[in-house]
Amino acid sequence: MSRVSAFLFRRRGGKGWHWTDVVTFGWLFFGVIVMFGPALWLIMSSFKSPAQLAEFPPTALPYESRTVVVEGYDKPLPLFIVTDEAGTRTLAEVRRVGTTAQMVDPANSGEIQRVNIANRVPDRQVGFAWDNYVQPFLAFDFMLYLKNSVFVTVVATLITLLTNSMAAFALSKYEFRGRNAVMLTVLATLMIPLSVILVPLYSIISAVGLFNSLWGVILPTVATPTGIFLLRQYMLTIPDELLEAARMDHASEWQIYWRIVLPLTAPALAVLGIFSVVWRWNDFLWPLIVLSRKEVYTLQVGLNTYAGELNVQWHFILAMTVVTMIPVVIVFLFLQRFITTGIAGSGLK
Amino acid sequence: MPASMPMWPRPWLPPAETEGIVAQLKQMAGAVVTAPLGWAARAIDPPLRLWQRLTGTGGMAAFFLLPNMAIFGVFVLLPLVINFAYSMTTGGALFLSDREYVGAAQYAQLLDCDDYTDPSTCAQDQFWTALANTALFVVLQVSLLIVTATITALILNRELRARSFWRAVFFFPVLLSPVVVGLIWRWILQRDGLLNAMIIPMGLDPVNWLIERNWAFAAAIGVTIWAHLGFYALILLAGLQAIPKDLYEAAEMDGTKPGRVFWRITLPLLMPNLLVVIVLALIRAVQVFDEAFVLTGGGPGTATLFLTQYIYEVGFASLLKNPGLAAAASILMGAVLVVLTLIQLAISRRNEKKGKLK
Amino acid sequence: MGQISLKGIKKSFGAVDVLKGIDLEVGDGELVVFVGPSGCGKSTLLRMIAGLDQPTAGTIAINGTDVTPRSAADRGLAMVFQSYALYPHMSVRQNMAFGLQNTRMARAEIDARIADAARLLEIEPLLERRPGQLSGGQRQRVAIGRAIVRRPTAFLLDEPLSNLDAELRVSMRAELSALHARLGATMVHVTHDQVEAMTMADRIVVLRAGRIEQVDTPLNLYNRPANLFVAGFIGAPGMNMFGATMARGVARLEGGPEIDLGGLPLPPSGAVTLGIRPQHLLLSEGVEADLTAKVDLIEALGSETVVHATLNEGAKLLAVLPGQPALARGDVVGFDVDPAMVHAFGADGVRLAGF
Ligand SMILES: Nc1ncnc2c1ncn2[C@@H]1O[C@H](COP(=O)(O)OP(=O)(O)OP(=O)(O)O)[C@@H](O)[C@H]1O
Ligand SMILES: [Mg+2]
Repeated sequence: MSRVSAFLFRRRGGKGWHWTDVVTFGWLFFGVIVMFGPALWLIMSSFKSPAQLAEFPPTALPYESRTVVVEGYDKPLPLFIVTDEAGTRTLAEVRRVGTTAQMVDPANSGEIQRVNIANRVPDRQVGFAWDNYVQPFLAFDFMLYLKNSVFVTVVATLITLLTNSMAAFALSKYEFRGRNAVMLTVLATLMIPLSVILVPLYSIISAVGLFNSLWGVILPTVATPTGIFLLRQYMLTIPDELLEAARMDHASEWQIYWRIVLPLTAPALAVLGIFSVVWRWNDFLWPLIVLSRKEVYTLQVGLNTYAGELNVQWHFILAMTVVTMIPVVIVFLFLQRFITTGIAGSGLK
Repeated sequence: MPASMPMWPRPWLPPAETEGIVAQLKQMAGAVVTAPLGWAARAIDPPLRLWQRLTGTGGMAAFFLLPNMAIFGVFVLLPLVINFAYSMTTGGALFLSDREYVGAAQYAQLLDCDDYTDPSTCAQDQFWTALANTALFVVLQVSLLIVTATITALILNRELRARSFWRAVFFFPVLLSPVVVGLIWRWILQRDGLLNAMIIPMGLDPVNWLIERNWAFAAAIGVTIWAHLGFYALILLAGLQAIPKDLYEAAEMDGTKPGRVFWRITLPLLMPNLLVVIVLALIRAVQVFDEAFVLTGGGPGTATLFLTQYIYEVGFASLLKNPGLAAAASILMGAVLVVLTLIQLAISRRNEKKGKLK
Repeated sequence: MGQISLKGIKKSFGAVDVLKGIDLEVGDGELVVFVGPSGCGKSTLLRMIAGLDQPTAGTIAINGTDVTPRSAADRGLAMVFQSYALYPHMSVRQNMAFGLQNTRMARAEIDARIADAARLLEIEPLLERRPGQLSGGQRQRVAIGRAIVRRPTAFLLDEPLSNLDAELRVSMRAELSALHARLGATMVHVTHDQVEAMTMADRIVVLRAGRIEQVDTPLNLYNRPANLFVAGFIGAPGMNMFGATMARGVARLEGGPEIDLGGLPLPPSGAVTLGIRPQHLLLSEGVEADLTAKVDLIEALGSETVVHATLNEGAKLLAVLPGQPALARGDVVGFDVDPAMVHAFGADGVRLAGF
């Protein structure tokens, strides 16, 4: 522990604490709590049973009641710690009538004791309500939404990478009439957000019969000018001599693209691919508009619908939110460095 | 003979820091993905060779551009054009041919107000409420966001151990989906939520964070800042790291006070990045939707109704859909965004020029 | 067979005429070197032979067949680029195999050819490495190997040695010559290093500003440069040039001294330029020196000594003297000129007839 703190608290030159050091570490620890805390809280809450979720104030960790199988009773009975004039002891509840509970001593199952419920607390241990996770997969359409989301994410990303890299290749390695016009159009639309063209886009999607289709979610997003721009900038740094060498080597233009340029653009493709995955996985507004039938909902839309229902079933929603978060967290854990350098280098988001 | 400098050949290689990506990508992609792709790529080569022979490189350029440009044209350019037609027609019909031309009437309706300071006197009171909310949101959210992002970047730029860990801490929420962000905070801010549980022991009264107008609005601001802070801090951090160290050393030699160093060296040199970040943040704030929508659904009442949600409601969600009105509203919003984008382009152009001069 | 003939090749980039009419025959098995100052159009010409650029006018024929409209891949040539242009993401073996695979050659044949080339170039241990893991000289060999496996009608090399350090360049130069002898293939080699040109070439093509100045064997170029440009370009250090006026068979250098060049077929009168290589100036033993000059600077290289001197009339003079003559700065020395070693050019810069 002291090692860890020595590591974390090492300051410039090892001199005494300057006020800026105090501010720095104050801010950093505040940051850890505020940034990680909510997600952590979400995860811990997602393992709580509905009864526990309704508790206020909430406990930090998920608990479950201890139960015991008592002779003469079919079901396992919940255990309580009872404290009254007779002393402190652990009893199992048989049934509850008003403010009185009928309880038995697990060791001595014959005798029923009456206990005022104010005199007892549930005997609990840390335990995880895995049911929150299992149920949505079995009973809800969660599996379907998950499948839809994966489909949208994977297909959209593949198409994005292919079409954008092809266009970027043409725009960076060929001289042709109209190249500047194309480039200018791409640049001009770089900042046109979806929210500005929602209505006409919706009508086009309907006109081509893609309403309520996952393709209707995918297609408008794949021709991102950002992707073309990023890939083109990278391809410009690939020397033309490499392409000429390939031409001397009998390579067709398609082969040059596929076997030479594409592998060499891998770093930029990786950045775009990661971002595309995150973007498409997280997309909300556009799927919300295009998808109106449950069978085609993506996770984000499905989740929002659950949360909008009249009796919000928080225990399921929290668990599903955690599952929705998992791919992004994995991307974050493994590719954090690439993402951050990618952003710093290109201002991509 | 002029002595030529011995120059080792530098074959072009991908930048070193990205080599890891390639390796990692290969592992992840594996043969499963690449094999069929490779097969497909080989299969289309012969017809493409023929096409190349027939049309030359010009034809190949067209081939490479076509898929993207087709999608781009249909789903980006065409909607841009149609949007104007939409905004000048009325009715619930989706297809332009079924719609009635009304000229600028919808714009007039949107802008029709007796008293511009009071949204309730407007024909489209919701639009004005959304507009007022959005304006207030933009001002408060962007200024708070910029200040906190700058502080975070400055702190992350200090000589910290485990800097990449700290950076990751602040960056983490950026990748979360807006729906997840909204739900997380809804869970925390609800009446029986964590926040109230934490303030009650401090002797404060529990607050209905998402039900009280002002608190809900503040929550929308706070949550969006929480979600985007890391992104802007990262860009600013890159800017800070580009400031040459020797400037600070020179200042230290001169005995300059830290505060003065910040105002006279750090801030001016960070200004280009700061401007870009401000404009980017403005552009996004104007379009605020997802997180706020999941968090508050626009409520209580219309307290957190923002422009994009207004467009969504009028165009798609409400019973009386009015796509024309939604289109008109989106064009007005687009106009604001175009102005902001032009500002941003001008800034980055100027930065580039400055960079070249150096 | 690898015979290349260029007829009336012209090339313009927009309004700029880079090549202004090139006619050249390259014989089968010949090693022809293009030299010339930077920007004279050497690479452009080579790229046109390769088929990477199309000439604005003129025709290119290989083995008698007009290949001008053909694409680079269909000309049967191989090129070694100045930057080597090795595919960074492929191993050495894949680099060499790529071109063969594209022609749908059998796997066994590809392997055999790569093995042959690797043995020839001694790069067998490197076959599985990436270009990024090779030294400059090794990359160079791989680039050549990639050309060799194709068994091309001719090799085109664009400054293949210019990226190497001086020492490596000398040894690679020898290797390339040996390779040429071994393969017996036609090679067109571009360089702006005249030593490289002199040592390697069967014939040298001297280019200037898009025109061929002279095509000949290295020694002929040295001994009988066709014009002032070639005379100054070939040989190091550069030739001493003196403006002179002829009068009654005697050359009077600008400003004074007269050199008796009796017996040379000089015009009886008019302005000429006389060229004398620094190596052909001899220290005068007697009193009657042809040229008298004051020593400015002495560069003693051991085996020879380079003397920078100024003639009385102010013209600069450079002499390369064998051994280590006892001279000092400020000395006034006399030089003798062997009339047989004098080059004479007319007012138009062209070598005078009879020389
Ligand atoms: N694509 C092009 N567009 C315009 N001008 C060009 C182009 N390629 C070459 N040039 C011009 O043509 C002239 C000849 O270029 P080239 O590359 O053939 O010179 P070089 O003799 O190979 O010179 P170096 O020894 O420096 O390699 C140069 O003036 C160059 O600027
Ligand atoms: Mg060149």
